[in-house]
Amino acid sequence: MPCSIELINVTQSFSNITNDSLTSKNINTKDKTATITLFNNLNLTIYQGQSYAITGPSGSGKSSLLMLLSGLEKPSSGQGYFTNNNHTSTLDTLRSNIGFIFQQFHLLPELTALHNVALPLKLRGDKHAIDKAKQWLEKVGLSNRSQHKPSQLSGGEQQRVAIARALVFSPKFIFADEPTGNLDQNNADEISDILFACCQEKNASLIMVTHSHALANKAQNIFSLADGVLTKASSNHATDVNELANNLLTNQKQVASC
Amino acid sequence: MLTHQMQLAWYYFTQEYRQPHQQLLRWVQTILMVFIVTLSLSSNTIQQYLQQNLQRLLGADAVFTQKDKLTNAQFTSLASFSDTVVETMQINATLTFNNKWQRTKLKAVGNDYPLQGKLLTSRSLQSPVTIAKGGPEVGNIWLDSRLFSSLMISVGDTLSMGEHNFMVSRVLIHEPDRLMEGHNVSMRAIINIKDMEKQAFPTDLIEHRYLLTASKSQVQQLIEWQKVQLPAAKIHHKNGYHPLASFWQRTENFLGLASIVLFFMAAIAIEQIAQVHVKKEQYFSAICMSLGASRKTGLQLSLIKWIINILVLIPIVAILSALFHWLVVGWLSETFVEVSWQVDFWLTTKTIMTCVLLFAVFHSAVWLNLYNTSVAKLFSQNPKSTSLGLVKLCAFVVLILVAIKYSDNALLTMMLVGSIAITILLMAIISWVVLTLGEKVSQTFSGLIPFTLFMMKQRLLSKSTQILGIGLSTFLLLFTLMLLKDLGDTMASYQRTHDGNLMVSQASQSQMKAMEQWSKLHNIGLRQAKPYLYAKVIKINDQSLNEFAQKPSDSLATLSNPIRLHWSEKLPMNNHVVQGKWWQIETKNWQQISLEEEVMTDLALSLGDKLTFIIHQQNYTFTITASHAYKPGAGSITFWMQIPKAAMQHINAPQYNMASLELNEEQWPLLSQLWQEHPTIRMVSLQELTKQFDDILAMITKVISGFASMIILLAIIVILSSINALESKEKKKNSVIMSFGFLKGTCLQLNIIEWLITALIIAIGAIAGTYLTGMLIYQSQFSLSYQPNLFILFITLAIILIAVTLLGVYASRHSLKSSVKRLMADV
Repeated sequence: MPCSIELINVTQSFSNITNDSLTSKNINTKDKTATITLFNNLNLTIYQGQSYAITGPSGSGKSSLLMLLSGLEKPSSGQGYFTNNNHTSTLDTLRSNIGFIFQQFHLLPELTALHNVALPLKLRGDKHAIDKAKQWLEKVGLSNRSQHKPSQLSGGEQQRVAIARALVFSPKFIFADEPTGNLDQNNADEISDILFACCQEKNASLIMVTHSHALANKAQNIFSLADGVLTKASSNHATDVNELANNLLTNQKQVASC
Repeated sequence: MLTHQMQLAWYYFTQEYRQPHQQLLRWVQTILMVFIVTLSLSSNTIQQYLQQNLQRLLGADAVFTQKDKLTNAQFTSLASFSDTVVETMQINATLTFNNKWQRTKLKAVGNDYPLQGKLLTSRSLQSPVTIAKGGPEVGNIWLDSRLFSSLMISVGDTLSMGEHNFMVSRVLIHEPDRLMEGHNVSMRAIINIKDMEKQAFPTDLIEHRYLLTASKSQVQQLIEWQKVQLPAAKIHHKNGYHPLASFWQRTENFLGLASIVLFFMAAIAIEQIAQVHVKKEQYFSAICMSLGASRKTGLQLSLIKWIINILVLIPIVAILSALFHWLVVGWLSETFVEVSWQVDFWLTTKTIMTCVLLFAVFHSAVWLNLYNTSVAKLFSQNPKSTSLGLVKLCAFVVLILVAIKYSDNALLTMMLVGSIAITILLMAIISWVVLTLGEKVSQTFSGLIPFTLFMMKQRLLSKSTQILGIGLSTFLLLFTLMLLKDLGDTMASYQRTHDGNLMVSQASQSQMKAMEQWSKLHNIGLRQAKPYLYAKVIKINDQSLNEFAQKPSDSLATLSNPIRLHWSEKLPMNNHVVQGKWWQIETKNWQQISLEEEVMTDLALSLGDKLTFIIHQQNYTFTITASHAYKPGAGSITFWMQIPKAAMQHINAPQYNMASLELNEEQWPLLSQLWQEHPTIRMVSLQELTKQFDDILAMITKVISGFASMIILLAIIVILSSINALESKEKKKNSVIMSFGFLKGTCLQLNIIEWLITALIIAIGAIAGTYLTGMLIYQSQFSLSYQPNLFILFITLAIILIAVTLLGVYASRHSLKSSVKRLMADV
């Protein structure tokens, strides 16, 4: 049975405005302190191996939902569960099974591409960290840029390194926050293809927050979060690993495959 | 336009006021300015005091001092420059009474004394003070109040000296010609000048002083006459320098050199803080430029903001410095009687301005970067900083210049600056070796330690700067504390290792013979005896001493008085030759001389230079053929200048001896008998030496403790600054690590390991640096053989490890307040 993450009747609210990106119109003005409720009684299940896109206007709480799903934040009310091999536990146990990809890439500037990718493996004490990192750089088409530092790479190349870094330690779930938000269309297509293909190959679930419809449409499950309500927009089963791999080969010959 | 910019700069200044990098900068600037201003004010107070002291306590318009009594012809010449001349004599003698003894400065005066001012005495310790119209009657002696308690004697008692008895008739309160009053701790006594002649003291031990009334032009003529006729004599006059002026300047220079250490640390801290400044101000400037402002505007704003910051600090610095100055003056008043505190606005301003100028040099890196900034920096994720090598070099050159200006001891300065340079190099090498080897070796292991080593190796450059900054601070702190401890320990152990517990610093040939008989009679061990004669250097390479060496130094101060010149056939067991060649046994070439290494360095002398001495009114010239240094383990009596034994066939002068004796508890009272017969033998017991040293040590401890606390404060600021400089990087690293599925606890563990490794490198570097510096400086400057205690070293290592790690981890707590969410929000 595949692993899954489940949110049941989750409500998330804040007692004051701390972050501009989390603002919402649902402000409870009865309290002396302004309370922002991002969503009420939200239910969502994520399965390993599937891809998910969460769309919605700015400030609707997409990033907060991502944080709740990854177990990095606690909901104001409701429960989150992680099921692995029929064993269910709280989301606190999820930590070692997740990876992140950010809009700003967040590579460590003093490390080369190779060492950035090897970083999570080294932290886990993997003796073959460098070899595995090399393989991953090859997978994302950057084997010839392994010794370059982030400042010497383009935005697209940096995001490829970030993808390799997020997947190199084989997490079961990848959370991506606007992974193509900083890239041009061509690069965005290329990166999204690599991302989907790699997640499919490693049987990792991809949960991403995006404003891009093109990117969202590549996901198997598309959700929309607006006014505190999460709605499933569609299930897109057409996108399978073969198709992605084909797209990948067609669009970017230099990218080997995932 | 400027008003707008000032308003804007003020606004940003207030906005940034509480930010850590600004707070740290203010701390560094305040600490350093308060220290330097307090030092300058205190020095100035003492200098003014000395000048007033000279005016009030000369007791004449000019004082002519010489070892030998003037001949009739010389006296007639001297009298031609003056309307009135009063002769006094002075000798160091030991007074004894009922088995008690006390070293005393014994003065002999006639009825014509004093020339100017008032001689104050009283009938008893409790009686009112009266003005005396001349010195004591023949057969009478006046003692200062301390001698009464020291000898437990009363007015009316009879005191024996040599074969003569003296009646203690009055208490001596004040002599108007006591120029050294505030600084000379010797106890004093006065007898009649006719009694001095009867005493038959060795004539060359008597100091003859002639008090003169003279106009300015007469004083000038007198000086010219003395230079030609009696170059070994000394003249003090009301328009000249205080005898202690040169000593005080050396003290100032030493403190100045110590402040170089603080300047170095401040420079390190400011360099670390500047990294944050550069980033913030460059970003702000680029934003301004993107909005149409010129490059100049950003630079101007930064300058105005910096000036506002300094202006805000100045009143605080002025008040704190005045307060500390007041405290220092209070403390100094124990030594310099009647010294008073007063505000010196001009000096405070001048010193603050100098500090501000230095801070500007240290801060110029920020402005240089701003000058080179562009809007493009906003688009580039990793903007390349302008090469700051030149700025850092400038700051280093400024520090070296300040060090040279303050230095009166070239060897010590060279050693201190050299030690700092060696320590920097050592730490850079240790950092590279530890991190590179650590990373290589640990590659095959798994866990957080290999990962930390890997990360540190990858960030070697930024990490090295942090290590060097904190390491140098730790080294300076460690060295200061070790020096203090070792000086104390050495003196404590001196009693055990010293050969003999009674040092004889001056005994004439007849006194030495008497002492040998006395020691034989009472079975007292005579450990060492080395002969010497008094010689006064008057010329070096045919130039007068003052012309040859103009910078005050320890050596110069000593050479301005007669020194002890030792003769020896062979190289003494407790010396080794540093350069040149020691003379051969029975050499005919008697005009050779060997000088102690430090004297050579201080006066910049080299082999082949010629020294001309006056020895017993005759001139002798010697050529430097060797330089020697002290070697421990074969007795402690050593001499700065040594000549071949053959020279004694050509020199006719009174000879003296230095010796050491070992007395047991029962033998100590026997000393009074020896002293009563030979009051001018100069002896000092180890207890007295130790007590003198304890007093000095107590004073040094106060100074060094104050100094060490400033270093500790600055070291903490350096650590905080270095953490502040790397905080944004650390935060990001921790957030990224958490995004790999790790907990905050892992980040904390990594942080602790990183600080432990950092502290280990720092501790090894600081201890190695301290060891090297100890080896270099101890022997040459303090005549101590440096023998580090391994146990103490390990304890120190542990303390440094714990202190730096705890402080580092505590100060890094902000960087642990990171989260994956922050990375998401970081758009």
